[in-house]
Amino acid sequence: MENKITDLKNIARQLRLNTFKAITNAGGGHYGGSLSVIEIIAVLYFDIMRINPKNPDDDARDRFVLSKGHAGPVLYTALAMRGYFPLDDLKYLDKPLSSFPKHVDRLKLKGIDASTGSLGQGLSIACGMAISLKQQKKDNLVYVVLGDGELDSGQTWEAAMAASKYGLDNIIAIIDRNQVQIDGSTEEIMPIEPLKDKWTAFGWRASEVDGHDVAALHSEIINAQKKSGKPNIIIAKTIKGCGISFMEGKWQWHSGTIDGSQYKSCLLELGEGE
Amino acid sequence: MKTELKLCALTYGAVLTELGRENADIFVLEADLMKASGTRPFMEAYPDRHINVGVAEQNLVGIAAGLASMQRIPFACTMSNFMSQRASDQVTISVSFNKFNVKLIGCYAGLSQEKNGATHISIMDVAVMRCLPNMKVIVPSDHRELADALKFAAEDNGPLYIRMPRVLPEALFDDSYKFTFNKGYQVKTGCDLTIISNGISSLVASGVLDELEKEGINAGLVHFPVVKPADEEIILEAAEQTGALITVEDHSIYGGLGGLVSEITGKNRSAIVARIGLNDMFGLTASLDFQLDYFGISVENLIKTAKEVISRKK
Repeated sequence: MENKITDLKNIARQLRLNTFKAITNAGGGHYGGSLSVIEIIAVLYFDIMRINPKNPDDDARDRFVLSKGHAGPVLYTALAMRGYFPLDDLKYLDKPLSSFPKHVDRLKLKGIDASTGSLGQGLSIACGMAISLKQQKKDNLVYVVLGDGELDSGQTWEAAMAASKYGLDNIIAIIDRNQVQIDGSTEEIMPIEPLKDKWTAFGWRASEVDGHDVAALHSEIINAQKKSGKPNIIIAKTIKGCGISFMEGKWQWHSGTIDGSQYKSCLLELGEGE
Repeated sequence: MKTELKLCALTYGAVLTELGRENADIFVLEADLMKASGTRPFMEAYPDRHINVGVAEQNLVGIAAGLASMQRIPFACTMSNFMSQRASDQVTISVSFNKFNVKLIGCYAGLSQEKNGATHISIMDVAVMRCLPNMKVIVPSDHRELADALKFAAEDNGPLYIRMPRVLPEALFDDSYKFTFNKGYQVKTGCDLTIISNGISSLVASGVLDELEKEGINAGLVHFPVVKPADEEIILEAAEQTGALITVEDHSIYGGLGGLVSEITGKNRSAIVARIGLNDMFGLTASLDFQLDYFGISVENLIKTAKEVISRKK
């Protein structure tokens, strides 16, 4: 287990560096919410989820919905590092007609289960997947990553009620709780706390975890896999722009561009060449 | 209205239950309007494939998308105004952009909402749905056509919208007519003008032909149940043969059947097009008959419009 956690930490570091490079190569983009979700994606894609890079459509796979579709670069990078396609392909991020548009598109890239980008829609799609699996008595799980900003959206709570009504304990949702949305802090723009109490009141099994601690994340997801009759939500406390000091916690870095000298200092911070 | 109209819920509920028996992948989704759609028999027969999300149309469409992602065949129904307006972004992104095999049924469509009035009368659903890439759009005019459209939808792969009013006649056309996807139906050929209609308006339009004949006007009628993909050929033929077209629909004259026919004929400026429908107006709190008459979906207004277009041809 210790080795696994060490490996996941290394993978997360590599994922963060590669994601940063891909976004920068594309001329900038959603650094903030991509860098905050790194450990979550690393743990899911490099250990937890049953996926098959050799057969992305394998029906036995777990399903994944990136409801915060603007974190697409992280998912692309993770898929590349898992061998779905060459890492070098990430140079096509945001390029016209490429397989790597800013927001994930399932029709353009194998390995994407749902096209997202319009916030608030992912949890409903995950519910539909989970209802289908339960009705067929299949044990695949549905993982969904939500942004905290999109929790402002009413549809998320419509889906939360439905998941509870239908006892969708095969859903494991993880909130990238980086506390920052486009215009400012979440509690300033639209207060969403007390988040754990809200989800609990909506009939979910809710927990909180440090979203950059891979060991804690890993163990929390394993806990959530134990069926309780309730859908699972893990509130992963993260830092927007994590890993790059001048971006951390700053709403200004929800998306943005950097210059050449910033790029070099970022690479140093992210441990390039270590 | 003299023709007897029957609740579409009877056909929707019965056909879906039949389809559900034949195909274990069929799901029915409701947003607290099972009473309007008529799917209680399906729920009783297949409770584990009947989902009711309450008054939450966006979630209705999203869950349907998720089911379709698992190769299931969801039929999601809510009132057509909510389907095309409240859930418009979910229909656009979760269904149309994802190209998920979701069947969207807009019930109580158009003026058939009657006294529920402006808040409930869909005036833009055909326009909205028609704009969406990957979406097919069907506007049936009788129960036989509705049943055939539903069966077609279950077989077809891809997003599809059916505009289902509260009521329709059992059978509007004679037995020789059979719904064919992607095809309009030439009910009658004419030489002075051609009326093009669908939905409940086809009932009104088919009743005007004899009246026009009495006025010395030889009018053709094209029934046009499949708005997208459109049978352009039948429109262009009618344009060529008669030089004047009148569209009739219980929908805004912008973007629906009238918009479509104008777009098609505009490509080669082949005919005068007059559009009958809601002209920049919301629906009313009134009976179906009153509203049809008020918005000019009537024999009187069709005769008046026919005379106008004929005089404009000269």
